[in-house]
Parts: sequence; structure tokens; C-alpha cells
Amino acid sequence: MPGVKKRLAHPLLSYLLGLFFMVLTLIVFCGVIHHLAFSSHGPKLLGSFVEKYEAQTKSKILDDSQKLLEMEKHNHFHNFPAEYPKLPENMQPVCFICHSDFPHSKNKRIRSLMNMHTQFFTCETCHIKKRSDFKIVYKWHNPQKENTKGPFFGTSYNPRTGRLLEGDDPIAKITPFFKSINSSQNSKELISVIQLQNTPFVKDYIKVSGKLSPEEREGIKNKFHQKIKPKGHNCMDCHAQNSILNFKQLGFSENRIKYLRTLEILGMLSQYEDFYLPELFPDSPVQTNNKETK
Amino acid sequence: MEISKKCIVLYVLWLGINTLFFNDSLAVAADKENCLMCHKHRFNARIDENGRKRNYHVNENLYSHSVHRNISCRDCHTYITKIPHDPVTLKVNCANQCHIRPPFAQEKFSHRKIVDLYKNSVHGGKPEDSEILQKALPNCKFCHLNPLYSKISEKRVSYKETLARCNNCHPQSGVEMAYKHITHRLRKKTSRSSREIVQLCGKCHGDKNLMQKLNVSKKAMDAVESYNRSVHGKLVQLGSQKAANCINCHASSALHDINKADNPGSTISKDKIMNTCRQCHKNTDEMFVDIAVHPDITHAGNPIIKMISLSLGLGMYGSVLALVGLLLLETVGRRKDGARLVLKKGTTWYGKQKSVSGKKK
Repeated sequence: MPGVKKRLAHPLLSYLLGLFFMVLTLIVFCGVIHHLAFSSHGPKLLGSFVEKYEAQTKSKILDDSQKLLEMEKHNHFHNFPAEYPKLPENMQPVCFICHSDFPHSKNKRIRSLMNMHTQFFTCETCHIKKRSDFKIVYKWHNPQKENTKGPFFGTSYNPRTGRLLEGDDPIAKITPFFKSINSSQNSKELISVIQLQNTPFVKDYIKVSGKLSPEEREGIKNKFHQKIKPKGHNCMDCHAQNSILNFKQLGFSENRIKYLRTLEILGMLSQYEDFYLPELFPDSPVQTNNKETK
Repeated sequence: MEISKKCIVLYVLWLGINTLFFNDSLAVAADKENCLMCHKHRFNARIDENGRKRNYHVNENLYSHSVHRNISCRDCHTYITKIPHDPVTLKVNCANQCHIRPPFAQEKFSHRKIVDLYKNSVHGGKPEDSEILQKALPNCKFCHLNPLYSKISEKRVSYKETLARCNNCHPQSGVEMAYKHITHRLRKKTSRSSREIVQLCGKCHGDKNLMQKLNVSKKAMDAVESYNRSVHGKLVQLGSQKAANCINCHASSALHDINKADNPGSTISKDKIMNTCRQCHKNTDEMFVDIAVHPDITHAGNPIIKMISLSLGLGMYGSVLALVGLLLLETVGRRKDGARLVLKKGTTWYGKQKSVSGKKK
């Protein structure tokens, strides 16, 4: 019709169609630009710029560790386990930053068995220094869930398969707390002994660690280890009738307690002298017994 | 006597109830020596002197559903003579005989035949190979995981119906696993998808640094790149399971007999390549086998393909860029006319056109 402004008289449908095709065109356009400029399948016109930028941030250490991580899938025949639930790295205790979940490496015989315990314990469970004015109480603790109730992984067996039950809280670990010796039996006042990453001191350290001199860093490291003893508990401190851990209170089932205290683990420690390294367990009753029988 | 009889009856009853109700969910691995006492724990691992994580965890549940579930640990890890054992320095030999006797055979089971094939293949290595090449060659577990039984859906005959016949004579759990084991291999050449196969082979063959160290030919150096450029590679990248992956062309049904093209036994040798192509392309002739499966468009001695590739590229980029350019020109034109990018009164463009308003004035 003469006089009608065609360009101003589009119905809503044409707007929607226009929008659809515009978005489509833009996606294709972005794809083509990417293909043209960066993609290894295209002419890669900006490839040299990308390589120049990557060279600045490239690290051989990072490349190698990524390669190792990738290769681990090929080094483990028994179906490299799926990702298990775990705490985010920034919620892990401070020890994790340097020592990871696999801190033991010196003793060739038992290093991986000792590392196995990090599934159940925080580092402080074995390595916390005693204090005369406090006694140590062990509790399951999950930084993500206050007053977690469990049941927890490894506290009981599936009666049908005989496998350890996963439980409701796979993240919680047995954690030590200080309780004043003057407090009453029923007092619930506990002081956490684990060093978390959310304290101001740790946050500050993470912020400036790259700027510290080696001496300064060593000093801070000593501060972190002030309350930590280098040698942890002996196996027999826990895997014995008079265990320092109250398995029942920690929610372990009767047969699991029996297993942990008396059956195979104890048998393994006492029967295999080779396994039982004298310098590692100097004062344990089993070693004394072995010496006597000799 | 009375009491012991009652005990036996109760025990038999208990066994019956257990079998009836719980049998299908019970999958107990052969761990008579209780190796899982330590190895079932997921943090049973360490970081070694070279920074490599050594993971000694064996997932109980996964292992009991794997094809090796009836094989005790020491059938493979023969070097373990006591528990707790010394640090392991030896490797598992997959050609070992294990204590399983397969049906219809008198001999103990072994992967020897496949291991021999692998040893004679290009991946098997020779004593005269350089140290770097020997290190780079893949061993069994580089490609293989302890395979898990996967459920197979039977289209023609229902899976339960077939098994019901077998169960007349054979124990249910065993025959079910065997059925899955066989049917799985009848349908697929590999457990991995085509894309996974290309990724797996590409881990070594796509690593240019490694290939350079191994001093391979130019064609071998670009093998992954050129495959990905080919029609097979593109289809596989888009998720096709029918397009040929590396294994389809480079190995026979034995899968482990991968060899260089100049080896007469190779599936891509002059004499055998036609049969290899005919697995999918029934009408393959001598001209067809000349088509490059690993096209090298950058090759200076291939000017026609280079020109075609260039013109197709120009056509593709040109048409999209021209389309976007046209849109931009149209937009500029409308803006010059006075239209604004406003959604109002059902229009995408709103405003007074300069020419129209000029006339009115």
C-alpha cells in the first residue's frame, strides 16, 4: 500500500524470526572466526599470537604433572576408581597444602598402609602433641556439616556382601578435640585442634607465601608445626584392646570393633616380624613379646 | 543327634532363602587370601620419588563385577609370596596360566595367544629397539582396564528367555556373566567407543614430541591430525560408531596384530588393504584404495588437493562473512533511514524514516 512505512510495520512474528536467525548467524559467525583464527582444524591465523601468550604462562612442571595424572589411568588396571566425594581443597586442613592426602613416604614397607589411614583420620589424630591441662577426645568431624551423625564409612559391614558400608557421610574423619581436664564428664565444651585454612593467619600466609624469603617461610612452617609431633601413634595404640580410640562411642559395630582390635590387623602385626620394624615401634608390647619368645 | 539334624535342616533352609532372595545381588570376588584387607581402602596409595602417584586401591564392588572376579590375586601377581609382601618390582605377565578352566577345554586359561600376537605386532617391540622406543611401547594395561560386565539388550530374542534355557543346566550367576562376556564381543569389536579408540591411540601417536624422539616418518608424525581431517575422523568426532576408527583398519578381528604397511601380515599391506576397506565399502576396487585415508592437504606435492581444499575453505569462510557483511550493510542502511533499534508496537525497528518525514515537511 502506498504511504505505509514497510520497514516500521513488522509484526511480532517477524521480530522473533529475525531474532532467531540473527542468533543463528552470530553463532555460525563466531564459529567461523574461531575456526579461522584459533582452531587446529582451520588455518589458525592467530596461532602464533596464542602460542606467544601460552609460552608466557607455560610451566614444564605443570605439563609434567598433568601428563602423570593422565597416565595414571593407564597404570592402574583395576578400573581406576571413580571420583569419591571429598572436601574441596580450600576446606581441607592446612596440612593438606604441603602434604596432600598421601604424606607418608619414608618407610617403604608401610608407607601406603599409613597413607590409607588418611581416609579415616585427620593428620592431628595421630600427630597432635599432648597437653597437660587437656585430655584428647576423638569425634567424627565434617567441616561441611556441623554435628554430623553418620553412619560413617568403615564403621560396619554389609551383612550380605561382607564389604564395608559406605554410610551417610563419606567425608567425615575421626578428629581430635581438646577437653579441659577440669571440665565435668558431661561437658560438651571441646576445642578443635585441627588447623583450618579459613583462619586469618593461614589466609594471610597463602596470600604472601610467594613473597617470603626462604628463612621467613621456614619460620612460618615451624609455627604451623608447633603443636604437631613428627612421629605419630604406634599401630598398637589403636589396634588393641585398650585402644586410645573408643570405637563404640565412635559408632563402630561390634564385629567391626572385634576386627580392628583383635583379628587380622593384630595378627598381621604380631605374626610377621618382617613387617614389624623395630625402629618404628620401639615400645610396643608385641615387640617385647617377640623378643621374649626368641 | 536330634539337635544336629535340626541344625542341618535350619542351615539348608537358610541357604535356600539366601539363594532365592539374595543371589543376584551377591557378587563376591575371589579373594581367599584376603588381599583386599589392605587393598580395599581407597587411600592406599603413595607418591613415589618421581612424583608419580602409585594407587594400590582395588574397588571391591567393581572387582567383583569384573571379568577377572573369579581369579585370585596371586594368579596374576605371581611374585607375591607372603603377606604383607615386599615392594613390588615385577610386572604382571598376562600370558600366565590362571587356575580357571574355560568351558569345553581341558587346559587352564591363558591370554598367551593374544600376547603372542601382540609381541609379533609393531607394539610388541624387538630386542634391538632403542631404549626410548621400548619405554614408549604400550603394555597390556595401557589399553586395557579390568573389564566390567555390561548389560546387553537383546533385540530378537529376549535376554531373559535365552538365559532361562541355559539355567536349566548351568548355575545362574556364572552363565549370565559368560553370556554377557560372549555377546558383548559378538556385537562390538572393542569395548571403547570409536572416539575413545582415537583418543587412546592419539595419546602416543598424537604426541609430536614423542614421535619426533622415535624418529618416525612424516606420514606417521601427522597420522592423528590427518585422520581427524578425513571423512572418517570427522564422522567419529561427531559421534558416529559406524565410521572407521584406528582399530577397524589397522587390526584384524584379533585386534592386537597391528603392523606397519610394509609388513605382509598387516591389514593395510598392499595385498590386504582391499579386504580391509571391503569390511564397510563392499564395492571397493583398485581405484578406491588409492583414496587417502590420512589426507595430507599441506603436502607440496599434492597441488590439486591443496587448491580444492583452499577453494572450499574460501567458499565456506567467504559465504558466511558475506552474509554477515550483508546484514551489517542492511543495518547501516536502516540506521541512515532513521530507524532505531527499539522494540515498540510490535516492530523490530521503530522511528521516522528520513525520506518520508522530509517529504511531509
